[in-house]
Amino acid sequence: MAGTVANKCLSPLTFITRRLSAPEFITQCCYHKKVVDHYENPRNVGILDKQSKNVGTGLVGAPACGDVMKLQIEVDDQGKIVDARFKTFGCGSAIASSSLATEWVKGKSVDEALMIKNTDIAKELSLPPVKLHCSMLAEDAIKAALADYRLKQQDDQQEAVRASN
Amino acid sequence: MLSLNYTRIVRSARALLHPHWLLTKRESVYKAVTCSARCITTSLPLKDTWHSSRSLKALGKGRSYHSNLLLRYYSTGQVELNCWKCKQPLDQSPAFFCMSCKVVQPPEEGTSYFKIMDCDCTFTLDTQKLQKRYLQLQRSLHPDNFSHKSVKEQEYSETHSALVNKAYRTLLKPLSRGLYMLELKGISIEEGTDSGADPEFLMELMEINEALHGARTSEQANEIGKDAKGKLADLTKEIDAALLKGELQAAKALLAQMKYYANIEEKVKEKLSELM
Repeated sequence: MAGTVANKCLSPLTFITRRLSAPEFITQCCYHKKVVDHYENPRNVGILDKQSKNVGTGLVGAPACGDVMKLQIEVDDQGKIVDARFKTFGCGSAIASSSLATEWVKGKSVDEALMIKNTDIAKELSLPPVKLHCSMLAEDAIKAALADYRLKQQDDQQEAVRASN
Repeated sequence: MLSLNYTRIVRSARALLHPHWLLTKRESVYKAVTCSARCITTSLPLKDTWHSSRSLKALGKGRSYHSNLLLRYYSTGQVELNCWKCKQPLDQSPAFFCMSCKVVQPPEEGTSYFKIMDCDCTFTLDTQKLQKRYLQLQRSLHPDNFSHKSVKEQEYSETHSALVNKAYRTLLKPLSRGLYMLELKGISIEEGTDSGADPEFLMELMEINEALHGARTSEQANEIGKDAKGKLADLTKEIDAALLKGELQAAKALLAQMKYYANIEEKVKEKLSELM
């Protein structure tokens, strides 16, 4: 019973609050309006050119729930993130977390973006305890994208050194 | 000879702490223990009359208060239970009804779903047999059969019936079955990112998901669904092999992959209903 009710709640257009009596779910099961907003009006869905040297791509998966999340950032020559895109296949909370993440990284430097914590994302979206791992996924996606960008920059520098020799 | 039997009790009782024993060797352990218990009680001094009279009485039925105490101290209440109503021993495991007074029993804590559904603890499972057993159990356990019985019996039938439901649902699908088998061995898939995931694999998943999202006809969606089913069938074989060999970490990784494809299968169904 808990399973079917939870499934029903996962439908994005559920605005009705349900209280589940099964012992595993004591929290209210309803998506916060911010999550619904991000789900229905996601910001920055799309892709950036993966091959570009200024683009870092983070691809993460959560095996427990089977969500996959891709987050890409475009960094200018001053080290500032000028654009970000995401694609997430998973629950509403995962989509909202990654959408919010792309909003937040824009305009930040690479080091500032590293400071974004999953707890901030969860707080902003009022994620219930069962969905905290979605915000973790978003934080890991940001870090993966930044790591990929850093790697590309290092490879670039090494190439430049080799070329000059 | 007595000391030998006593050590047998202690050894068997210790073995009860091992989960594997709980699943398979319950009956044989029980028999060994009662036999040893019989030997112990014959040598006990008859000081406490209540105690001794109970022992002697129980002896006739092949068990003793002393052995009950010993077993309860060591075990988690697994090995021997008595009917809550007539106090007769429940000789079956799992015991749904008392053999003597036929009254419904509450479920034993910690009984494995495989035991409840009378299936071997293997990944390959005869789902027909599972379904038959499920229907057979619910025919007798369902709370509707207890509407005119006592409140306690109604409660017990509810908990027992709910447990049978849970066991059936878990064992029916390969994914939940595999995850449950790992859980029995103390392994679970942690929530959060899989840092060891193969990027190629994730990329492939992304592409499949994107293709499904962009599908405009049922044929396209069905094609993706067919591929996913094929992948799931392959994974089922691999997981079975891994679990048989006891390669639990490999099985865990494969089950994680299965989760992703199971999600895709769900999404295909949703897409098909959308496209209709």
